[in-house]
Amino acid sequence: MWEKLKLGGRFRFQTLRAKLVFSFLLVVLAGGSASLVIGTHMVGTTIITEAQKKVRHDMASAWLVYQEKLNRIRDVLDLTSKRDLVLRAAMSRDGEALRMALERVRLDYGLDVLTVTDRSGVVIARARPPYQKGDYQGNDESVRRALQKESVASTEIVPQEMLALEGPELVRQAYMEFVPTPKAKTRPQTRETAGMMLKAAVPILDLHGNVWGVIYGGTLLNRNYEIVDKIKDVVFRGERYGGIETGTATIFQWDLRISTNVRNRSGQRAIGTRIASDVYDHVLENGKSWIDRAFVVENWYIAAYDPIRNLKGEIIGILYVGTLEKPYTDLRHRVIYSFLGIAFIGLVLVLFLSYLIARSITRPVGELVRATEVIASGDFSHEVRISSVDEMGHLAMSFNGMVQTLRATMDQLHQMNQRLRDLNRHYLEMLGFVTHELMQPLGVLKGYLIMLQDQSLGDLSTAQQKQAVSTMLRNVNALINMVQKYLQLGRIEAGRLEVNKVRLGVFSEALQPILEDEKHTLESRRMTVKIENEEAFRRVEIEADPVLLRIVFSNLIGNAIKYGREGGTIWCGFREEPGEFRFYVKNEGRGIPKEQLTKVFEKFSRLTGDLERRRGGTGLGLFNAKEIVERHGGRIWAESQEGEWANFIFTIPKTLKDENPSQAG
Amino acid sequence: MERRPRVLVIDDEPDVVEMMKMALERQFEVLVAYDGKSGVAKARAERPEAIVLDIMMPEKDGFTACKELKEDAATAHIPILILTGVAEYFSRTQFAKSKGMEIEAEDFMAKPVDPNELVRRIAALIRKA
Repeated sequence: MWEKLKLGGRFRFQTLRAKLVFSFLLVVLAGGSASLVIGTHMVGTTIITEAQKKVRHDMASAWLVYQEKLNRIRDVLDLTSKRDLVLRAAMSRDGEALRMALERVRLDYGLDVLTVTDRSGVVIARARPPYQKGDYQGNDESVRRALQKESVASTEIVPQEMLALEGPELVRQAYMEFVPTPKAKTRPQTRETAGMMLKAAVPILDLHGNVWGVIYGGTLLNRNYEIVDKIKDVVFRGERYGGIETGTATIFQWDLRISTNVRNRSGQRAIGTRIASDVYDHVLENGKSWIDRAFVVENWYIAAYDPIRNLKGEIIGILYVGTLEKPYTDLRHRVIYSFLGIAFIGLVLVLFLSYLIARSITRPVGELVRATEVIASGDFSHEVRISSVDEMGHLAMSFNGMVQTLRATMDQLHQMNQRLRDLNRHYLEMLGFVTHELMQPLGVLKGYLIMLQDQSLGDLSTAQQKQAVSTMLRNVNALINMVQKYLQLGRIEAGRLEVNKVRLGVFSEALQPILEDEKHTLESRRMTVKIENEEAFRRVEIEADPVLLRIVFSNLIGNAIKYGREGGTIWCGFREEPGEFRFYVKNEGRGIPKEQLTKVFEKFSRLTGDLERRRGGTGLGLFNAKEIVERHGGRIWAESQEGEWANFIFTIPKTLKDENPSQAG
Repeated sequence: MERRPRVLVIDDEPDVVEMMKMALERQFEVLVAYDGKSGVAKARAERPEAIVLDIMMPEKDGFTACKELKEDAATAHIPILILTGVAEYFSRTQFAKSKGMEIEAEDFMAKPVDPNELVRRIAALIRKA
């Protein structure tokens, strides 16, 4: 059913069924693919939206973790500022005791820096070797605010010289050279010397509630992975997907990764790399959050970036969380594939159903086609059996009605034809009978008249008697001729129903018997017959009805004798032409006027203005000859030089084509 | 004087037979028969010098009669002139062919007959025999 014919560069369906199924398929494919495209797009959008929502949520959680860390530092400082041990040591200006108390706290709570200043902002103790003191920290925003009795906690940039005061290791920890990063913003610097610190500061109050000094401390974020890993653990619960951690978090100092759990190709944390320039512009320059896909190191992430601000509200860095995009794209693909799978199953189902439907529609059509073919082949007995009540049923009903009418008409036609045939046969039989019955008495008359004329039955005594006999004989001959021609006509008419074509020698089987019959007449008119090229003529064979062909020669030679000059010559011969033979009978004599050359072949035609020649002519001889020749697929015509000769020529094809239209006998 | 040759005329039309008889009697003794069956019997009994045989006859047509005469050794030598129907135009060969028979009549004449021609032909046949 899927056979297609390629015609003129276009596909054409061979069957109605294939066409129907294909149409169904086309509709389903068009609708299906449209809904597939829209559906997958919607699914994709929904999943991405969901993912972004989740990332936004993750970001909020990450901020909670971050903030909690800050708060903890502040709380530790707050508690420390209120400890007796610390207070006493501070009040008593016992530097060594204060340092030891502070160092215990710093180590217990994992702080990098823990420092106490007096009321004027001058450092009196540091809890980290080499325990520098005496420097002024009152310019620091946190310290400045704490001196005004405020407890603060924030992220701050700490310049290298400040780090050096707090402890030389911190300088090393913060120092970071830029790793060349594609798509990063071009910057004049090649390294970072400052550090980024979670920093808190709280006032130390005396017994009267007055600010005695400030205690400040914090944790350097550079190369400190506590927060990012905690974010990862808390927010993403350490989920892995295909061997990769789904959640990542990063802290940027300005645009530089200083703390991250994103790994580079060799599996190390990708610190030292910098952020992409479009995020740079969006977040650092414009201070906005950013949520989008991001290609981080090796994989695509759905990422969120938020600016990190210091106490003054200046943007100093970025907090990033990202979740692996792959689970979402995989989910999307799974949905799309199951979509496709369902669509494919649906398609197969539709195909099967449409095949069934198409079959149920086309089966009656096929039956009609078969019935039409049967009827076209002439069998009117076939009827279509279609029981449905739709258009097909109506069609089948009208079709059957048509067949019945056709059958009735054909029967009628057949009967009429049979009647016509019978009539024709009766007519021919009667023609044959009448002419034959006429011939018998005419033959007797002719015989006696001849004997009377040549006086073999005794002398005729008067000239009147002789003339009477001679006239009678002439008229009897004319009658006989007429009857003969009607007999020929009967033969020709009969030949319309049946032509007996055989292969025959034209000379021996058609021309010669006629010449033998006419021998006596020829002698009496002292005419000679010359056969041209006789030897070759004897070998000419054609396919023809012998009796009909003899009638042609008989009529032509009869005419040549009748109208030819007494004592003249008659030439008979043939020419071989491509595809046909040409035969001719030529006689000397008056010939035929040009304007009558075609007329002589008409039925009952005679040469006008020639009373003498009208006698004995039936006007049928040449007509009969023409009919016969044409029935054999040939042509006949006359040529003449008036007063000198007339020539009758006819052709017979070498391979006879059937010129008999009603040969259904 | 020698006995005149005998000619058997077989035809079912008495008038025609009479006319031909009148013509032939000038030279021959004429025997007649009016159908094929009695014609063949007469030929066997009389052994004429020549036979004029019509084709269309009741009780054995000319074809059958001719065949019997030619197959019978006693009559095979007798020359036969067949009278064919009008517009039949049989030749010798055509006659044999048309009936699928291996026999041949010695001569043919189309009806209606010219009596003088008939006499001439019969004379020629007897002379040849």
